[in-house]
Amino acid sequence: MNDALPANEPPVIELRGVKKSFGKNAVLKDLNLRVPPGQTFAFLGRNGAGKTTTIRTLLGLIKPDAGEVRVLGIDPREKPLEVRRRVGYVAEDQTMFGWMRVGQLISFIAPFYPTWDHSWATQLSDRFELPLKTRVKHLSKGQGVRVALMLALAHRPELVILDDPTLGLDPIMRKEFLRDLVAHLQGERVSVFFSSHLLYEIELVADSVVILDHGRIVRQAATEDLRATVKRLVAPAEAEQILRGLPGLLDLNRSGRQATAVVEDIAAARPVLSAAGVVAQEIDLNLDEIFEAYVIGRRKEHNHAQADVERVA
Amino acid sequence: MRKLMWKEWHEQSWKLAFACIVLGATALIGMRARIFSDETMMMWVSSLGLMTLPILASTGLVPAERNDGTLETLLALPVQPWRILAAKISMGVMLCAAPIAVAAAASVLITGGRELTVAEMLLFYAVCIFTAICLFSWMLALSIRLPSEARAGLLGIGISIFWLLATAGLEYPSVPAIAWAISPFAMVRELYVEESRKNISLSTVLGIQTVIVVGLWWWTAKHIAGSEQRP
Repeated sequence: MNDALPANEPPVIELRGVKKSFGKNAVLKDLNLRVPPGQTFAFLGRNGAGKTTTIRTLLGLIKPDAGEVRVLGIDPREKPLEVRRRVGYVAEDQTMFGWMRVGQLISFIAPFYPTWDHSWATQLSDRFELPLKTRVKHLSKGQGVRVALMLALAHRPELVILDDPTLGLDPIMRKEFLRDLVAHLQGERVSVFFSSHLLYEIELVADSVVILDHGRIVRQAATEDLRATVKRLVAPAEAEQILRGLPGLLDLNRSGRQATAVVEDIAAARPVLSAAGVVAQEIDLNLDEIFEAYVIGRRKEHNHAQADVERVA
Repeated sequence: MRKLMWKEWHEQSWKLAFACIVLGATALIGMRARIFSDETMMMWVSSLGLMTLPILASTGLVPAERNDGTLETLLALPVQPWRILAAKISMGVMLCAAPIAVAAAASVLITGGRELTVAEMLLFYAVCIFTAICLFSWMLALSIRLPSEARAGLLGIGISIFWLLATAGLEYPSVPAIAWAISPFAMVRELYVEESRKNISLSTVLGIQTVIVVGLWWWTAKHIAGSEQRP
């Protein structure tokens, strides 16, 4: 599902039919993704959904078993170094060289990037208040993430890929990191591909969202569209069967005299409810609840369907 | 490449200094005390070097970085993986060669010409250096995917023992000389066994070992980058 994304601009990231397995474990299953330029793009999924594998594929660190990958129009399998030169990357729980001082680390990394901007690096170091003479191993977690972000930005990348960079940070530090991200990247019109499972934070900065579950994309949409279309419906318990038949049903629960359903397109659900004479209350959802409906709700439905099949058998 | 070398030097220089001091001091004291013949003492010093230096070099260069997580950081940089490996191999070669060279210098200074000629002593130590580099190459190649120094160290010990036993086994008369020359210890044996059972020259063994080492480095370069294991 790739709704509400501009199709006229060449995408910064494009995946078509990408598959990747590690042994018998299929991690990416026919992954299709299109990231337009200039957006902050949230890549959401639970642990083990395939987020890191996707990102490592984008950087040419992992070769997919099948499918096409393009990053800034380049195939990372053929030109991984070209991709890495033009992309800023902060890895999940990135480990730097502990014995180096922050200044030494910057001097070590800089020569690998032809576009490294020393004055911009100095500005970033000042803004992020990086202690240049402190050894990396003595930095706090928050300082470490800021160093990684500074290193990812100082060569003025066209695309920044962040793999769950706030993992392990306390709430205040996470907010500071996102503040820095918003201030320095969105202002520069740099495309950001941001993987996370902390949705309440992503919600504030993401223009678009893609939800990955078990190696498959279950929804890709602009954040506002997602909020506008995915709704929770609360109806009397007698309407449960009607709710079960709604198009785009993501989750269905019954408690006491009420049945609640989450649908991915409220506009498609309304006529069905009207035709059946069901009066349902529509409730707005935040990104966290939408994600839960897609990831957990679908699994419940899948389990119910399997149980039904087993019963019949 | 210069920056990669700088990094490796900073990470490994203390090991290099430590190994140079230990091996140099052992040679110096041993030769000076003259408890054994010069030849026996050289064998002791070189055995110490051959058993420790390749393990010291191979465990610290890749498995230690994999264990720390910094290898992933290095591989995600816009630099060819073979350059990363070239810097590591250069440092590994230095770790294998420099301490034995220091021991050679100490031995020559103390005993040069006493029981063995300087040329004989230098040839022996040169062969030891090359043997250490061969062992290091085997250990590096086979530990390239190991995620811990301890496991790489155990593997290194295993490789040394395997080749020691294999060298003895391959000396059996029916084994062709060319097969025997595959062992990294063949050069030391060729130089030191008074009546070598194999009709093969030192230079031929050297040539075969060079081909093997280059092959191992190529194999290692191919496998350092393809870190396909699931994160």
